[in-house]
Amino acid sequence: MAQPDTLLTLDGVVKTFGRHRAVDGVSLAVRRGEFLTLLGPSGCGKTTILRMVAGFEHPDSGTIAIDGKPIQGIPPYRRPIGLVFQNLALFPHLTVGENIAFGLRVRRQPAETIARSVDEALALVELSGYGERRVHELSGGQRQRVALARALVIRPAVMLLDEPLGALDLKLRRQLQLELKQIQQRTGTTFIFVTHDQEEAITMSDRIAVMNGGRVEQLDTADRVYNRPTTEFVATFVGDTNLLTGRVSSVAGPTATVSVPVLGRDVPAPAGDARAGTGVRLSIRPENVRFADSASPWRMDARVLEVVYAGAAHRYTVEAGEARLLVAAPASPGTAPLAVGQRVALTWAADDAVLLAPPAGSPGR
Amino acid sequence: MTAWIVAHRTIVAAVLLFLPAPIIIVILSSFTKAGYIGFPPGELSLRWYAEFFSSADWLATLGLSTLLAALAAMLSTFVTFLGALAVTRQRLPMTQGLETLILLPLIFPHAALGVIMLGLVGIFGWTGNFLGLLLAHFILTIPYAWRPIVAAMRKHDLAVEEAAMSLGAPPFYTFRKVTLPLLRPGLVTALLFTFIISFDEVTVSLFLVGPDLSTLPVKIFSTIQDSGSPVIAAISAILIGFTIAIVFLLDRVIGLELFVAAEQRRKPTA
Amino acid sequence: MRLGRWAWLLLLPLLCVLGLFLFGLGELVWSSFNGPDGPGLDLYRQFFARADYIDVLIRTLWVAGLTTVVSLFISYPVAYFIARFQGRRDWLLVLILLPWLVSVVVRTYGWIVILGNRGLLNGFLGWLGVIDSPLRLLFNTTGVVIGLVHVFCPFMILAILAVFLQLERALEEASMSLGAGPLETFRRVVLPLSLPGVISGVMLVYLMSTGAIITPLLLGGLRDRMLGTQIYQEMFQLFDFPKAATLAVILTATAFLVVLPLQWLERRVSRNLKGAA
Repeated sequence: MAQPDTLLTLDGVVKTFGRHRAVDGVSLAVRRGEFLTLLGPSGCGKTTILRMVAGFEHPDSGTIAIDGKPIQGIPPYRRPIGLVFQNLALFPHLTVGENIAFGLRVRRQPAETIARSVDEALALVELSGYGERRVHELSGGQRQRVALARALVIRPAVMLLDEPLGALDLKLRRQLQLELKQIQQRTGTTFIFVTHDQEEAITMSDRIAVMNGGRVEQLDTADRVYNRPTTEFVATFVGDTNLLTGRVSSVAGPTATVSVPVLGRDVPAPAGDARAGTGVRLSIRPENVRFADSASPWRMDARVLEVVYAGAAHRYTVEAGEARLLVAAPASPGTAPLAVGQRVALTWAADDAVLLAPPAGSPGR
Repeated sequence: MTAWIVAHRTIVAAVLLFLPAPIIIVILSSFTKAGYIGFPPGELSLRWYAEFFSSADWLATLGLSTLLAALAAMLSTFVTFLGALAVTRQRLPMTQGLETLILLPLIFPHAALGVIMLGLVGIFGWTGNFLGLLLAHFILTIPYAWRPIVAAMRKHDLAVEEAAMSLGAPPFYTFRKVTLPLLRPGLVTALLFTFIISFDEVTVSLFLVGPDLSTLPVKIFSTIQDSGSPVIAAISAILIGFTIAIVFLLDRVIGLELFVAAEQRRKPTA
Repeated sequence: MRLGRWAWLLLLPLLCVLGLFLFGLGELVWSSFNGPDGPGLDLYRQFFARADYIDVLIRTLWVAGLTTVVSLFISYPVAYFIARFQGRRDWLLVLILLPWLVSVVVRTYGWIVILGNRGLLNGFLGWLGVIDSPLRLLFNTTGVVIGLVHVFCPFMILAILAVFLQLERALEEASMSLGAGPLETFRRVVLPLSLPGVISGVMLVYLMSTGAIITPLLLGGLRDRMLGTQIYQEMFQLFDFPKAATLAVILTATAFLVVLPLQWLERRVSRNLKGAA
């Protein structure tokens, strides 16, 4: 199952704490040099996976391998990993430079090599000249970078990052997301990043593993996770969506027609491998629901119930049939938003909708 | 590596046996029947307990120690409570210095404290009487009351009182119904802690007892020196019982772990 | 509630009591400079002129130092064990706190029962046939040190434990993830971070051992006089308050001579660890 470019594999990994199954049969193949994010709500098992890779927890069953070699039984300090902790865990008794030098000193590298590596690492995270500072003199963002440099300087095969940006405010967080991504690309290190923030995951990742209840629901590129979710959980956890229950009434080529009782009509969706007569859930993102014009192949009537101005877009709640739908429309300056009570016609492109697999229990993908 | 773990565990096990050892031995030997204590222990009896409870002298001493500890605990808790209110609510000059002063008795060697107290008590003419002991215990227990009370007050959010007053509660009502209940765990801890410190105190009391007046620990001390009768084991077992009850109460009131943390912030800073 | 000027009124009783203590302290120092021949350094001169007093002083330092070192070596592993204990820590704490809160005199009595010539240990060893004549464990320096270590090592354990309880587990994991094995992690992370607790424990134990009276009197031999027992004797056998006061001042001075530098050190170390919690 390991492809040539696979660096880290998890195969059927299970971990229970007492009666709680924290990780419930996870298989993953992490490619060399990629930025992979484990995304999920708290308690979904993402941190436990990280701790098992790091060697602080041990799987009850299943194997974890790096470069095809199982790492079971290897203590944390002999694993080729770098770890950035949620609370950073910088050593308070050491200076910034000593923190970064820690892993190199442990490896008994000569003083000159250490000094050079530390300077390089400081430069990499744009903290040149901060080597003599004490950790408590730094700002949150700076500490963040020290933690990153400390782990990177030992040149680990895999970097593990456990929600390292969680404590920062939004603006700084966005900035560091970009920097982190740049550093990852520049060093070519494999990153496994844990977060519960879907926006963060989409911004940074090459691939995202969406986790729920100890399982991986979907492992795919950020784009596909957002636009082509395979399960209801993924569709709702990653971004907002409208979920409609219906039945496939006919399939014509790439397009299926789905009859949705709450809308009182048929709507189009991509067929995929759906067959006529099966029950499905249809997901359509608010920004993919459009106001129909004369060129639209189909349209349905709706009435505006509520308008919320959200910066770049207006978010409408509309009533169509018995359903309430969310619609997001770009707000252009000078155009007045629709008024509450106004009648509108909605449509969407068949390709923008997604038919989801029936909920839980079935092997997805 | 494993050798280190084995060594570590061995030391830990040894210390965890070492610490309770004399206490367990005292309790066990209090049930001896013989006039001396040895190994193997021989027949069991309650005769030394009977001797203790039939001795008016010992019982009076027990009563005196209890009274002394209770009064000292209440005095130092009350006075500390008032002082801590002032220190935690008002920006006073030299708070740091004041705190150092309050904790000062902790960092004097006990033998020196004994002489200091003896001199002080002599000025009032209270040498060898109850008031002298009470004054000394009062001073000695203040640092032990200070930490839990101040910790409770610092933890307590003054906004709660402001909320009460904004709802129309007058200051004294707020104090009674909001402040005091919130500080209760700290106060109870202070009371229990100062009680046990006073009740067990022996080195300083040694300087202050008189021919007709002795605390229980001092009387035990002089009896050990004089006769070594096993009645001491019975009395000691009773004292241990007291301590166990108080540790149990402390566990109930704040939990022992918090107690360690609160206690440690009491590090002497002179 | 704001207190305004009431603050000083609330503080007044406490200040009075502390004032009394300071007054007593002043009285002590004053007496030590007022020998039978009027004010001066006579009493101190007499002290340092007597070889037996110097002996007592040195023995006090030796016994207190030994007690401190032994306490440190047995307390450190225990504190670490308790801090990292996964189960119900309360039960372990009871094993430390309970003996700590039991009166010194009771605990010392327990040691007499255990260590005496006809005590449990000798009885047991004799019964096993390991020894022919009883080991002399009591009425010598060994007995005093065993007793003092028992009395004071809970202070040391609690002081170190308090620091360990604040030490994040993640710091040790961070060290391991950077390639440091358990011993290296201990040396580079755990030990330096626990220094403030070690220093304050050492201060407390040393300070209290220098001033002990009960344990050396009950467990020590006639030759095992320490400053504390000497003060007790001057006071109650010779009724010489000025001499006792002089000894008390010398005792306090010897204690502070060690404690003040340690305090300075602790402050330095703690400053370096700022933000450790």
